[in-house]
Amino acid sequence: MPARHPIRGDVLALQPEASARFWRLYGHLWAHGVLDHGIKEVARLRNARITDCGY
Amino acid sequence: MSWLPATAGGATPLDRVFGLRPDLYEPFRAFYAVFWSDRLLDPVVLELARLRVAQLLRCESEQQVRYAPALDAGLTEEQIARLPDWPRDSAFTDAQRAALAFAEQFVLDPHGIDDDCRDAVIDHLERPGLVALCEALALFDGFCRFRTILGVEAPGAVQTVPAPAAAMSLA
Repeated sequence: MPARHPIRGDVLALQPEASARFWRLYGHLWAHGVLDHGIKEVARLRNARITDCGY
Repeated sequence: MSWLPATAGGATPLDRVFGLRPDLYEPFRAFYAVFWSDRLLDPVVLELARLRVAQLLRCESEQQVRYAPALDAGLTEEQIARLPDWPRDSAFTDAQRAALAFAEQFVLDPHGIDDDCRDAVIDHLERPGLVALCEALALFDGFCRFRTILGVEAPGAVQTVPAPAAAMSLA
């Protein structure tokens, strides 16, 4: 059996339309924009560390 | 007026700030609107959660907005005025109380959401409702901070607006 993505496949799948719209927004945030990827990634990781989010 | 030296056009203060990035504002509105258009949660529960997050984060511009579907479903200004004291107030239903307890802990310390807090939400809203509530709270929490940091101007008085829609300005 193929592995399921722990967020897309299990949790967000309970709200598929919201999930689709979230991933559209999130994907756009990462794929486009005026900030370079390094700044986005540092901000993401720092936020995860402050909120103690292991994922 | 935001402290930003230049703002975009638009009908609302949020339009004029978020409109500086129209490529992000459009998919944001589409995501935001789905909670109302697809009625992912009871509109009163959704509105109480949104307003309680705004109160905790002292976000004036968010606190001044009322979405019409919640008022149409029975939410009153009297109940909103009593929202800060909800744990001791019988005006709130068990489902609303479960969502408000979860919302407060979400903002203050998500690691403090224990099994009882989570299961109370599931009992009233079921598992898809729990997921919808988490997504809605992430939006409300994040965009109260967005409004505060970027100085999105608060309206001078409470304003009731239609349910958010992808093609509409957001109050």
